[in-house]
Amino acid sequence: MEVVKKYNEPELVLLLKQRSQHVFSYLYDNYSGALLSIIKNIVSDEDMANDVLQEVFVKVWKQIESYDSSKGRLFTWMLNIARNASIDTIRSKGYQNSLQNRELTEDVYIAGGTSETKTDQIGLRKVVHGLKEEYKVLVELSYFQGYTQDEIAKMLGIPLGTVKTRLRTALIQLREIIKP
Amino acid sequence: MNIKAYIESGVIESYVLGMAESQEAAELEQLSRQYPEIRKAIDGFEAALEQSAMAAAVAPPAHVKQRLFAELADEFVAEPGKLVSMPRTFAWARYVAAASVILLVASAALNIYFYQQFRYASTAYQALVLEKSTLLAENQNTQTKVLDLYQSMQMMSDPAVTKVSMPGIKGKENSLATVFWDNKSKDVYLLANKLPEAAVDKQYQLWAIVDGKPVDAGVIGACAGLCKMKNIPKASLFAITLEKKGGSPTPSLDQMYVAGKVG
Repeated sequence: MEVVKKYNEPELVLLLKQRSQHVFSYLYDNYSGALLSIIKNIVSDEDMANDVLQEVFVKVWKQIESYDSSKGRLFTWMLNIARNASIDTIRSKGYQNSLQNRELTEDVYIAGGTSETKTDQIGLRKVVHGLKEEYKVLVELSYFQGYTQDEIAKMLGIPLGTVKTRLRTALIQLREIIKP
Repeated sequence: MNIKAYIESGVIESYVLGMAESQEAAELEQLSRQYPEIRKAIDGFEAALEQSAMAAAVAPPAHVKQRLFAELADEFVAEPGKLVSMPRTFAWARYVAAASVILLVASAALNIYFYQQFRYASTAYQALVLEKSTLLAENQNTQTKVLDLYQSMQMMSDPAVTKVSMPGIKGKENSLATVFWDNKSKDVYLLANKLPEAAVDKQYQLWAIVDGKPVDAGVIGACAGLCKMKNIPKASLFAITLEKKGGSPTPSLDQMYVAGKVG
């Protein structure tokens, strides 16, 4: 029988850096659900999303030494790993092929933005979905698909400065929505 | 610099969400060390983001964790540092092992103690058994003696029995013996009240003087109380002499100790 112990973040980080398998297991139990919700926002395929989740935790385990608590929370760090891994996945050849097989293309997304995606409308994406259309597209493209502001400006045919300003405004609105 | 405007610019959200360009990010990190308000704003958004993500958590299927731990299994084993991942188990096992050893030692000590106790009890029991059989034998002896004495007493108090007291003769005044003579059966019993201990090769012998002649009435054996002697139909006097072992056909008169007349 294992006593369910709550770890605060400094303890978690310290024990992870000491390679505690027990704490790693705790970390997984505690955060895998939240990270999976972000991954599912980006990777629509269920099995692939699960694969990404596994990959994310492997990275967390292997890269914990590079985590710097002075720069931000552990969750933020893991969230960014999850986002990057998810974007890498949807940009991979294999993923593109699998999407084409399902007759779902990125172009639908890039072109209009209003069409429903197959990704889960949960968590952050649900919040983004509540933004004004012009903001929503920008957050979708930059946050969930990982395009640079330059790319987005070219893609949408609007000036880079406008992309920058609108995106910032969108993020502030996002913050206001999720603010507890 | 207008900190408030900077905080409200959206750069913090952009940074936290990993969307900031590297130059922006570096600038923010530097400013956050300078201005606690900026640090606070970053922390606040991070916390809110985590909270919102936790609220939206979707539990992954169990096999993902199994696969993950299977993938990392080699690392868990290979790196010695991983041993800290199981301290509870090891500590628990150590305590159990220590407890086992203590119990074993205690058990062995108790075994030795109990064995010694057993040996002691066994020896004491055997001694008691021996003592009991000795007491039983002594008791039987005593009962036999008591019975003999009772019979002797019965015999002595019989009115048909004549008591012949034989005091020590001159020079043997300290000696005394008594003959009990049954008038009907003519059986003779002797009580050696007081006679010096005979040498190993010697034995006292009782004589009945019949018509002036000594008649052998038997040697005195190792009898407790009364000794039954030979049947003597007629006698006027009894006497005891010390003879060679087994008795003599005629008395050695110089070895006479006691003598007493009948009637």
